[in-house]
Parts: sequence; structure tokens; C-alpha cells
Amino acid sequence: MKTFTNVNARDLRQAVARSADARQSGQAASFAGGGSDLLALMKERIVRPDVIVSLKPIKGLDQLTPGGGGITIGGLITLDALSRDARIHRQYAVLAEAAASVATPQIRNVGTLAGNLCQRPWCWYYRNGFPCLKAGGSQCFSVSGENQFHAIFGGGPSYIVHPSDTAPALVALDATFRIVGPSGEREVPAADFFVLPRQNAAAENVLANDELLASVHVPTAAGGMRSMYEKVLDREAWTHAVVSAAVVLRMDGQTCRDARVVLGGVAPIPWRLPEVERLLTGQRITEEVAARAGELAVAGARPLAKNGYKVPLTNALVRRTVLELARRA
Amino acid sequence: MRSSRGLKAVGRNVLRKDGVEKVSGAARYIDDLSFPNLLHARTIRSTIPSGHVVDIQYHGDTTGFTIVDHRDVPGRNIVALIDDDQPCLAERTIRHFAEPIVLLAHENRERLNAVDVQIAYREATPNFDPAASKTSFKTIAIEKGSLDEGFAAADVVVEGEYRAGHQEQLYIEPNGAIAVPAGGGITLYGSMQCPYYVHRALKVLLGLPDHKVRVIQTETGGGFGGKEEYPSMIAGHAALLALKAGRPVKLVYDRVEDMVATTKRHPAVIHHRTGVTRDGRLTAIDIDALFDGGAYATLSAVVLSRGLIHASGPYRCDHVRIRGRAVMTNTPPNGAFRGFGAPQTQLAAEIHMDRIAGQLGLDPVRVREINALRPGDTTATGQRLGDCSALQVLRAAVERSAFKRRRRALAGTNRGIGLALFFHGSGFTGGGEVALASKASLALTGRGARIFVASTEIGQGTRTMHAQIVADTLGVPYDCVEVNAADTGEVPNSGPTVASRTCMVVGRILQRCAEEMRERLGTLTPGEYLRTHGPLVITKQYEKSSAIAWDDHSYRGDAYGSYGWACDVVEVEVDPDTWQVKPTAFTTVHEIGKAIHPMLASGQIEGGSAQGIGYALFEEVVMRDGRMANCQLTNYIVPTTLDTPAIDVVMLENPYKHGPFGAKGVGEMPIDGPAPAIINALRHMGIDLREIPATPEKIMAASAERTGSGITKSRSARRYTKPSSKTLHALREKP
Repeated sequence: MKTFTNVNARDLRQAVARSADARQSGQAASFAGGGSDLLALMKERIVRPDVIVSLKPIKGLDQLTPGGGGITIGGLITLDALSRDARIHRQYAVLAEAAASVATPQIRNVGTLAGNLCQRPWCWYYRNGFPCLKAGGSQCFSVSGENQFHAIFGGGPSYIVHPSDTAPALVALDATFRIVGPSGEREVPAADFFVLPRQNAAAENVLANDELLASVHVPTAAGGMRSMYEKVLDREAWTHAVVSAAVVLRMDGQTCRDARVVLGGVAPIPWRLPEVERLLTGQRITEEVAARAGELAVAGARPLAKNGYKVPLTNALVRRTVLELARRA
Repeated sequence: MRSSRGLKAVGRNVLRKDGVEKVSGAARYIDDLSFPNLLHARTIRSTIPSGHVVDIQYHGDTTGFTIVDHRDVPGRNIVALIDDDQPCLAERTIRHFAEPIVLLAHENRERLNAVDVQIAYREATPNFDPAASKTSFKTIAIEKGSLDEGFAAADVVVEGEYRAGHQEQLYIEPNGAIAVPAGGGITLYGSMQCPYYVHRALKVLLGLPDHKVRVIQTETGGGFGGKEEYPSMIAGHAALLALKAGRPVKLVYDRVEDMVATTKRHPAVIHHRTGVTRDGRLTAIDIDALFDGGAYATLSAVVLSRGLIHASGPYRCDHVRIRGRAVMTNTPPNGAFRGFGAPQTQLAAEIHMDRIAGQLGLDPVRVREINALRPGDTTATGQRLGDCSALQVLRAAVERSAFKRRRRALAGTNRGIGLALFFHGSGFTGGGEVALASKASLALTGRGARIFVASTEIGQGTRTMHAQIVADTLGVPYDCVEVNAADTGEVPNSGPTVASRTCMVVGRILQRCAEEMRERLGTLTPGEYLRTHGPLVITKQYEKSSAIAWDDHSYRGDAYGSYGWACDVVEVEVDPDTWQVKPTAFTTVHEIGKAIHPMLASGQIEGGSAQGIGYALFEEVVMRDGRMANCQLTNYIVPTTLDTPAIDVVMLENPYKHGPFGAKGVGEMPIDGPAPAIINALRHMGIDLREIPATPEKIMAASAERTGSGITKSRSARRYTKPSSKTLHALREKP
């Protein structure tokens, strides 16, 4: 690992300023929250910062704050704390379940929400030091390579899948992300935070140099809202979603009044399914409706040579999750 | 043989000799060690699977670097093992991806990593297909009786082909070594299983005499066979750099390098053709096995040998032919891994046995009861068995798991139950132990005794178990027995720590040392003896039991001094949407002679079973153009505790008269059974799989083939139907 300088940030403004300073003097800078993803990238020499701006000392950024018609979640909250919070459990089960499904207890104890949302892809090629699009190179090796875990939606020119579990949950909850940078603050809807490779092949989100994700605002759950996160992974723990589904339904008796269905593990961004949402809205969720939702979910799938299995898997997961959630009292 | 009654240490769960240090973090592994003026090292490896090196260019500042290539080898440029075909550093020819070519050392790791070494190649066409290989490392044929006669007596012939992929040993601590130049020679510290293998390899590589090479095993974080032969390579690299630099050199792999470059379990394709009578008796067994050895011979010949000897399973049959080849491909060499060929061949044998049962309309227990080896029977190599617990473990496992009742209860659901009956020979194959001529020493101390063996503690409990054997034989408390470090400067050559031999073979030599020491002591305490007679060191060498006879040319005779016997029963549940398999219940009965330390022995069985679950369901080495593509822990999926059901371990003890206190081997056998038991549980659900790992994709495909849709709709297809006698002759399956 390359030798680096650690800078402890007192507040967000100082953090982005120190990052900008370093960059202007020709040094590579990285923000570190929990540091679990950054450390892995540094060990593999994929990221080689000269300066690490540690966000950990920033006070209050790991808190849950009610207000503004919902709840604001500080980016530094650990995944473990988020998954155990009673309010999150009660109102936003999909988020609590997504956070609880990440990696291992050790990683959830240090890994933060913002870090989970901003983590880099876990594509075999990228993590193995290949000069791919995500590493600033000019090709995606998965296209003609080992693409069993790659995208069936939204791919091209890169076919990575977004690795975050909390991202589909927050998109399904209509969350807003607060971004802080050298020139001030801005807010973007969760769905607009993530960008497809065809917009920017080297990045997974809209963060510019020296910008960071400060917090997330989730609007108050509407009456009758229920939600869940289902994740298919290759073993019971400690790996990324092969396919996951974040589903939020607003139910009125047996009838669905509003729906959000967002997939993880199948696209370079959290993959929202507006047609499935429209199908479910106004319907009694029967087995037949759920089956149609599953079929519709994969209507636009474009599998690669080795990930065709994700199509029936996604179909089944959407059907099963929608049905199970609708049946919950 | 001694009775275990009245024993104070043997058969009890005494504290591990290495326990406190490991739990408290005081134990020092290779990367914890440092020396003054230490250099760090880096290995430059081939980036093609086949071809020739044309040119090597260094970009970046190499001042102050020590650079070594094949021209710096003072002795023979080989990793001395069996065939001596593998260069320690490639000269011109490249036979696999990640073959070491150049070594760099520098005191600053950043500078070490900053140098860019560009190697130009002339590429050749690689071969990754064992069936197309033109180079055999070893061909073996085992023959018993007459196949013609056997098949003539058969009512039904069942054929099938079975496949197993690579498996990575995945010890927690990667390979690593530190070489320290000393007096014109080398002292080598390293994570390893076999100090004397490394010792010999260094002598040959460096052209040094015995006394100029000293090898010291450091605390070792697991081996599973992966530190049997590979440490000779990494030790050689560190030593070459250290000799050239005249400074200590540390070479420790990270996980990616360890997975990409070091050995794995041999992939295998095994074809069975079996004659059987309609009432279920085996009349002829014809087996053909192909093992992918990778680019160099390493241990392929002996892996193949053990694999073939176990290939017909623990079954009696008068007419047997087992043929096999280990061949070269342009992939990194495959080598030793717990089980050593037997997991592949017994996977095939046990899936095949369930298919035979299915074809005959017999239940899987019955067909095994009919054919299981009994005392007095002969194995495929003609070994006449004195003791044999095959039926005993089968019946115990079937009863304890309520196999027959559960099999009926689960029929037609998305759950299944399967079993595997298996055995494993303890110690080196054939005349191997005679050739090794292992030695062990015991020195009298003021309190008791000190053990001197080259057997290594790699987590399995060597130090503890040896001390227990010595304590009870000598008649001193366990705490009064110490174990010396495995340091070739201090311990005799007890042979390698492999082949389930450390307890049965080395433990027995130590027991003989202790028996003589007890005699010499007479009525004196150790302290009194030392004061009266001075130091006492007793050294003994392996002695073959006169009953053991083996002919390596005809491959006939007593392949092993003794065998362990075991039966696994596994229940699984398949998710009808995701096709994921979850083992939900696991019963295993192991007959191991004597459990010297029941908790450690049980730990070996649980660990081996978990590793077997990984082999069966999760662990898939994806090779692309001869390179492991998923060489990271996030990509190469091993089971966690959440993926492993509670394992119900039952140990039976049928003492072996030439083992210490009756003990046989236990380390390897547990990995032979889980994979076939799991595949047979899937077969119980109507899923015809003949390949591992049984990933969800393969199960989805196999299930679709069988039923056209899915598990939930396949109920009627799942039951075995008993064929009428008229149809029996027609039941000749396509391979």
C-alpha cells in the first residue's frame, strides 16, 4: 500500500476544502468514512491516494434526525446502527433489511450508509486491476469475458452491477440525497444520484471531484405503506446480491394504491421498474398479478453470454417479493 | 495394544499445546517476523499460458534492487519433488499463467511495487482440455479378476460419467517465507507442512550440503495440502534473493497471488461401467479416470494413485479394472489437497451407486449393504481386510439420521436426503512409508519428555495429540511433555505432515520411543534418571508391520496399513425459485480407530465436512484462458457457518493394532463424503446431477431437463419405480 497522509476533517466544509487543496497541488485525495471499501481498493492498488480525508471526526453526521416531512439520515451512520434503529424498522423496513443484509457484522460495524451508496463495483475485472472503463481504461472486459454476475439491464459500454443494497431501498423510498462540495450544497433525488455508464462510464454517481454524499432524507411513510428487501446471494452471508428487490407498496386493504419496485444486482444503477409499478397500482395483488409483475420485470432484460440465469431469477424474485409483501398483515 | 481405561491424557479433551498463544495473539506467523536489514520481495510471473520468453525490460528506477532470474540458480533450477520437471524460475519456456520468471527484492515496498517489468513473449497455442492432452504425467492400471467374466454374470450394466472441478485449499494464512543467509548457507522460516521437503528442495536448488540449509516452520495458518509442495517453490525464491543480496528476504503472497499461482485440487472426469445382478450384487467394475495435472507433474502421480485405489468405493467385487491418467494442461499445476484424489473418485463411485440402486429399484441403503466390504474381503488391489467397519458405519448413520423414514417423508417435496459410504487409507500409499523411513525422537527432561518430530502443527492438533500419546505411554502428566519446534536443525525427518499419517504413523513411532524410555527409567522419575545417568534421547524409525506387502509394478497388495470408514447422511432443501441448495441436516459416522483427542478429532470431521459442502455446492474455480478469474474471496465462494448445518458427528472406535492406542488417520476422510451425499440428496428429488459444484444454474438446467419445468411440478417423476424383470436387460444407459 502506498504511503499516505491522513487529514481529520472537523466539518463537511473543511473536508471538501482539504480534498480540493490536495487535488490542486497535484495529489490524489480520497474521502474515508468507515474506510472498508477504500481499504480494499488501496490494498489491491486500484486507488492510490496521497491524502485521505477522514470524515469520522465530523460530529453529528452519524445521527437520525426527524423533520422536514420525514427523517434525515447522516451519511456516517453505520450500517449496523441503521439496521437496528426502531424508527427505521417501523417505517422503512426495506432500508433496515437492506442494511442488515450487507456483508458481515464486522463490516456493518464500520461500514457507513454513504460508503455503501458510493462503493465501487465488485466486478472481477475491476477489482483485479484490469485497465477497464471503471479504472479509466477504454474497454469493458466482461463483454466477451466472465459476465455471469454482470448487468442484464442498462449495460453498455460498461456492464457492472451496482453493488449497494441500501441504494435500491432508498430509491424505492423516494429519498433525496444531500451532496456537499467546494462550491456549496445541492440535493438530488436518489434515483438521479446514480448514473448509467452511457452517461459516465468511469463513475457510478453524479459526485464531482471533492464532492461527498453528506446525508439522505427519506419522506414520511404514507399510511398503509409496507416494504421489504429480498436478496439472492451465493451463500447466506458476505457476498453481494446476485439479484435483489426493494419493494414498497401502499396498500388499502387488499388493493395496492402505489408501488415502488427497484432491483439491485442486475444493472449499473438501482433499476427501477416503472411498468411493474403501474401494473400493480390499483390492483388486488393476487398470485396471478404477482406472476405478471415478474414477467413484466424482465421484459426488457438483455442478458450477456453467461448471465441468462438472472432473467428467471429476477422474474421469480419480483413475483415472490410482491406477493409476500402484499400478504403481510 | 493398550486399553484406554486408566489413561489420563489419551481420549480426553486436554488443552491444546498451541491454544493459549493462538487465542491471545502471541503466536507469530511468518508475516509477524522481521529481521535486521530485511528486504521485501516480489515475483514477476508470466501473463500468458503457453509460449516462450523473448525479452525482459525493466521500467522504473531499479537502483538498489536485487534482481534474480534463472541464471542466478547455483544448483539445479528445479523444485525437487517427484519428477523434477518444474523449474523454480522459468528459463525460456512458459507452460502456465503466473509462472515465476523474475524475482525482485528491495527494502522499500513502494519502490518494489513501482517497478514495471515488461516481458515479451512468443505465444504458443495452449491446451486447457485434459482429454486432448498429449502429455501424461502418470498412467496407472489396477486389475483384479476378469472383466469379461464379471460382465457375463451381470443382469444389468450401468454406465455414467462424473465430473469434479478445481478446489482451492484456502488456508487462512497465505504462503510465505523468509530466507536468512547464514555462514554460506540459508536458514529458511516459513509457513509449511513439510520442513524436510523444503530442506531437500533448497539443497538441490542452491547446491548446498545438508548442514548449510536449515528450515524452521513458523506458526502456520492452515495447509489442507496447499502447503505440502508449494512452500518448496516460495522458499527457493526467497533463498535465491537472500543469497544474492546477502540480506534476509521476506516473500509473503497476498490472497490474489496465492489463489492465482499456487496449487489446487485436480479436476477429474471419471467414467464408470458396472455390471450388477438384478438383486443388486456388483459383478464387474470398470473405471476410467482422467485427472488434470496442470502444467507440471508436482504430486499428480501419487494423487492419481490414491484416487484410483479408492475409486471403486468401499465395496466388494471380484472383477475390477481401474485405469487412470494424470495429464498435462496449460494451467497452474494442481497438487495436494486434503483427500488427495479420493474425493473425486469417491464422488463418482457414490453417485454411481445411487444410480445403480435407482435402476434396480433398490433403496440406496440396501444396495450398499449388499456390496459393502466385510472383514476378510479383498479390495481392488487385492488387499485382504482384517478389520473393516463399512457396514457398521452405514447402519449407524442410517439409524441415527432415520434415513429410511426421512426418505419416505420427504418424497415429493422440495427437500431430499442422500447418503454416501466411503473409506480412506491412512498413511502413504503402498511402499511409501517404507521409503520414507520416518524418524522421531524423545528426549528426557527434568519433568517428563520433549518431543522432536518434523511433523507440523497446522491447526489440526499435532503437538497436542503427540504429547497425549507420549504422556500416557511414558506415564507422566500431559503438562510435562513439551514439543520442540519443527526445525530441521533440531528434529529428525519424520516425513511430511500429509496423508492422515501424523497420528497413526508418526504417533506410533513416538509411542515406541516412549515405551523404551519408560523401560529405561524403570522405577526412577525423570529427574532422578537425569541426575543418575545423564541425558537420555531415544530415536526410533518407522517399522513396517510384517503383514503389509505391496508391489508397485502390478499395483497389487496392501495399499494402506489401515483404512478409516465413514458414512454421511445429508438432508437438503432446494428453493424452487432460486434453485439454491441449503443443507439442513448432516449426520456423519466416522470409524477412526481411536480418537486420541475427541474434540480435535471431531473438529477435523466437522471442518472436513464443511469443506466438503463447499466442494459440493459453492466452490467453483473459474478458469479463463488458463487463469483463475475469480481469485478473490469475494468471488470464490466458500461456505460460512450460516451455510453449514449443525453437523452431528459420531465417532466409532475399532482399534488398529499398529496405531498408537489404536488410532488411524482422520484428517482427510471427512472430505470424501459430503459431495456425493448432497448430490444423492438432489437425486432423491429427481434432479440428475453428475457434476460438482452443484451451482443453482446447473440445478436449474438439470431440473428443467428432467421435468420440463420445475421442482414443484415434478412430483410424479421423482419416485424410483421398480423395473420389471423384463425391462431389466433394456436398462443399459447411455454414458
